[in-house]
Amino acid sequence: MTMDFLRPATWAEALEAKAERPGAVPVQGGTDVMVELNFDVRRPDALLDLNRVAALGEWSAEEDGRLRVGAGVTYARLIAELGDRLPGLAQAARTVGSPQIRNRGTVGGNLGAASPAGDGHPPLLAAGAEIEVESAARGVRMIPAEEFYLGVKRSALEPDELIRAFWTRPAGGPQYFSKVGTRNAMVIAVCSFALALHPAERRAGTGIGSAAPTPRRAVAAEEFLAAELDWDTGRLDPGLPRRFGELAAGAASPIDDVRGTAAYRRHAVAVLARRTLTWAWHDLWAAGPHEGPHDGPRGRVRRPGGPVAPGDPGDPEKPRREAG
Amino acid sequence: MRVSLTVNGRHRTADDVWEGESLLYVLRERLGLPGSKNACEQGECGSCTVYLDGLPVCACLVAAGQAESREVRTVEGLAGDGRLDPVQEAFTECGAVQCGFCTPGLVVQAHDLLNRTPRPTDAQIREALAGNLCRCTGYEKILDAVRLAATRKAATP
Amino acid sequence: MKTEARPSVGAALERVEGVEKVTGRARYAYENFPDELAYAVPVQATVARGTVLAADVDAVVRLPGVIAAVWHGNAPRLAPADNAELAVLQSDRVSYRGQYVAVVVAETLQCAREAARLLRIDYDAEPHDVELRADHPEMYRPDRVNAGYPADTELGDPDAALAAAPVLVDATYRTPAEHNNPMEPHATVAVWSGDGLTLHDSTQGVSALRETIAPLFGMPPENVRVISPHVGGGFGSKGAALPPVVLAALAAKHAGRPVKLAVTRQQMFAVTGYRTPTIQRVRLGADTGGRLTAIVHEAFEQSSRLREFAEQTTTPTRVMYAAPDRRTAHRLVRLDVPTPAWMRAPGEAPGMFALESAMDELAVACGIDPVELRIRNEPAAEPESGLPFSSRNLVACLREGARRFGWAGRDPTPAARTRGRMLVGTGVAASTYPVYRRPSRASARCDPDDRFTVRIAAADIGTGARTILTQVAADALRVTPDRVRVEVGDTALPAASLAGGSAGTASWGTAVVRACEALLEELDRRGGDVPAEGLEATADTAEEVGEQPEYARHAFGAQFAEVGVDLDTGEARVLRLLGVFAAGRIVNPVTARSQFVGGMTMGMSMALLEESVMDHEFGDYLNHDLAQYHVPTAMDLPDVQAYWIEEDDPHLNPLGAKGIGEIGIVGTAAAVANAVHHATGVRVRDLPIRLDKLVR
Repeated sequence: MTMDFLRPATWAEALEAKAERPGAVPVQGGTDVMVELNFDVRRPDALLDLNRVAALGEWSAEEDGRLRVGAGVTYARLIAELGDRLPGLAQAARTVGSPQIRNRGTVGGNLGAASPAGDGHPPLLAAGAEIEVESAARGVRMIPAEEFYLGVKRSALEPDELIRAFWTRPAGGPQYFSKVGTRNAMVIAVCSFALALHPAERRAGTGIGSAAPTPRRAVAAEEFLAAELDWDTGRLDPGLPRRFGELAAGAASPIDDVRGTAAYRRHAVAVLARRTLTWAWHDLWAAGPHEGPHDGPRGRVRRPGGPVAPGDPGDPEKPRREAG
Repeated sequence: MRVSLTVNGRHRTADDVWEGESLLYVLRERLGLPGSKNACEQGECGSCTVYLDGLPVCACLVAAGQAESREVRTVEGLAGDGRLDPVQEAFTECGAVQCGFCTPGLVVQAHDLLNRTPRPTDAQIREALAGNLCRCTGYEKILDAVRLAATRKAATP
Repeated sequence: MKTEARPSVGAALERVEGVEKVTGRARYAYENFPDELAYAVPVQATVARGTVLAADVDAVVRLPGVIAAVWHGNAPRLAPADNAELAVLQSDRVSYRGQYVAVVVAETLQCAREAARLLRIDYDAEPHDVELRADHPEMYRPDRVNAGYPADTELGDPDAALAAAPVLVDATYRTPAEHNNPMEPHATVAVWSGDGLTLHDSTQGVSALRETIAPLFGMPPENVRVISPHVGGGFGSKGAALPPVVLAALAAKHAGRPVKLAVTRQQMFAVTGYRTPTIQRVRLGADTGGRLTAIVHEAFEQSSRLREFAEQTTTPTRVMYAAPDRRTAHRLVRLDVPTPAWMRAPGEAPGMFALESAMDELAVACGIDPVELRIRNEPAAEPESGLPFSSRNLVACLREGARRFGWAGRDPTPAARTRGRMLVGTGVAASTYPVYRRPSRASARCDPDDRFTVRIAAADIGTGARTILTQVAADALRVTPDRVRVEVGDTALPAASLAGGSAGTASWGTAVVRACEALLEELDRRGGDVPAEGLEATADTAEEVGEQPEYARHAFGAQFAEVGVDLDTGEARVLRLLGVFAAGRIVNPVTARSQFVGGMTMGMSMALLEESVMDHEFGDYLNHDLAQYHVPTAMDLPDVQAYWIEEDDPHLNPLGAKGIGEIGIVGTAAAVANAVHHATGVRVRDLPIRLDKLVR
């Protein structure tokens, strides 16, 4: 009946504690772990409180140009401090839970829980992020986001490892995250989609949420964009977003559940993919075709779900009913 | 285990705290502060909103041990010198209170909003309160109350 | 000592317990801490049907901190109850998944939870049947439905009239199971002393609870005291005694310690009632001008094996529209499911979704404006009973609502308007709710300091009862409300009816007025002298309520909705809701508006969000928490407005009030669904209007 409450003060102590007690459950913002405790879903033999490990709450710009964001950086701080450099992730963060949850919850915790519905995952996939994990015994491992998710609530994290940070490049082009839900706030995604344009490399990254056992990339859709997007003139063939949507939907393998049917999810992934591409491409070329792609970060906030307000400037799509 | 923390400006200690216990439980059952409500235990309703080191959080999702040596402010600690906080005053005046179970969390959350954003737009108010569920009012009068409190606070420097 | 005061009824008196609630000082049931307190945690059945073979209570009572573990094998015996749900731990039968099969009492909540988790229970499981189907072979006609209405009614020859009708609407509607989900989960602190029991309970009616609990434990009612000063909402779910309060009292008795028991949000989905799912077939026959010639409304519902709860789904159809030939019917099937119970406007809320959706379909079929269609079918007297209406202002509500909403000039063509990425549309529906009044007692007291105390065992579940009764008493006593103190929520006070059926103001208000009148008479007799020990008068309205003349007494309203539906994702959002109500005299405009707006918001929620999904494999409600059972947030309804028609109805009660707690939810879901049809051309007949239903 007893449970230990471990309070490492440093990262090294935390790693040692995890090595000694692989069954200890790390708790940072508590937004997943405490629910499981409150609901008696599990009774671990120890809780490993990471709140006191100051290093986890820090982020830095590294020499290779990437950002290293500590696993303890909350969604609220991520939005406030990194929203300009990681717009896709910031958009997703804005749709996580409530302000109270965003004051406590972290991307690190999202990774640890590895729920297919976690909002942080699609933007990490789209941006090509890497997850830095560490153990006292084997040191640091860098795991690409797409290799991190193994199954429903299962990740590549070993029992003696802790998530230290995620690494990602500041946005080199427009990024969007969009999700579908029944409410305007406090929404678990029925499905979600993230897109990041990488103009310098003339390609795009994608991430799908809540439409497969794990968050995943739409690889064929990405390859299609790399091959078909006209990076020289910015011309967007009207059929291209639609085809991109179809390919994205093809990458999903959703199930029927309380929140929506599999068929609906496939349909919605296609819609979100098409939309995010249209928005992102529009942003990229908004300053006019002569200037070519921008390097700066782009992307506006999209509210989770819900029709866009009348006169929304960011919606270049004409009203059109989807077939199917 | 023992947990020592500051609650509403007073140093408090709770003994025999179970390691998996929430801050909410400690406040309600051990420290005699049941103002923060327990309604979902999963951070979905905001009824247990308290300040933790100045940030509003769901107390049900804070492990008691995580609150060690930290500063907590609950709804019981908002009124000072026998006077209600302008947010509390506005909630009663505008009829924003019905059954009262969501009220403590909403009052704390609205209090934080007005500290950060003294003249919020309606959209900002709605977004700030989106994690505080109310089943009675339909939120209209709660919005009225926050608007009124903002106006009052702006008028008194 | 008497002073004339301006009337308080009709004024916006501030909620009298507001300060207690905004400061966190208001004490709810669970927030009581008697000495020697122990914690009770229930154990719920993990099979939907079967028998409990064994519970290894001996193993868990050996755990440190555990005081007692109770199951049917060692539970104190209760007297037989009419409601088998209340025979808690009295037999080995499991009638639904989640039913209480044991309870653990321990020194701390953690100990109790751990022991409850470890308590090994062996079942003999049997195949279960948890699916409501209209063609279920065990469907039967209940003798009566909730609130005492006949199950079936028929006038004329509706089948022949339907066959002859030039225009026919024949549609089947479905509403899902929904859970009340008041913000405060049910909770009880039970304290035995000698042969007396004190219950701090979250209840909509302390008197009714006492009358139910006392005989279960073989006691006269006066041995039970129920205290419930503040209740965190109920919406019907705290109206009748439920298994948790019985379990708490039983656990406390067995353990010999005061216990507190909090139902968790998740447990609420099994043990605190819910709105039955319904399948409703509505047939409307009309002439080409939209005048109804026949109305047939048949409802299929479920209840549990334990208790027959038959919701009165089609009763509003007996009230709404004129038509010579008509039938209403209720059929019920008993399944291996939790027991449904009252949820805000039981009957009216799901029933009017079907009827008012069908009326919209008829308007479309006849090419008549849906407001005009309803006005055309306005009856002169209550259609089935023939009784005169005490007052009926549905037409005024429709006209006033249409004016305020900007209905005029509406193009009825569906799927013809876009705004940005949305298809937009508007819809209307009528609402109705009966006016009930139940016997209650009250006392009124005057002290030498010229202050008045009114006592009544009423419940303030957030409605504002304490506040409006203060206003009512102030007017009856002809003083300002600051000199009146109203005490509610305690069986030590004069017995009163429960907070339900929107009848609080009418029932308690009558008793308060009569008690105050009696006190004033007594004061007059004494020339205004108040003796040192004070002066008290009481009233009992049983006779007055029993003798009221026969009228059809109902509140009416009209609901208007504007919705936007995302063209591609099917996400539907309500952009605007406007309701106009005719509900008699409004005692307090602030509390009333909040009741209407809150009801309408719950109606919007019924339209778009709420659905308790039955897991057919396991036999319980799958989405049993607030992360999965969605209710609206502050961001989900940008514009809700409620108005009312001034109504002076002399046939109701001394206040002329009709009750406002429930009518706000009635009709809203139909208005939203009708607006969704207008927006998209898609008629959704099964709630909620989930996004995947709009993109098929």
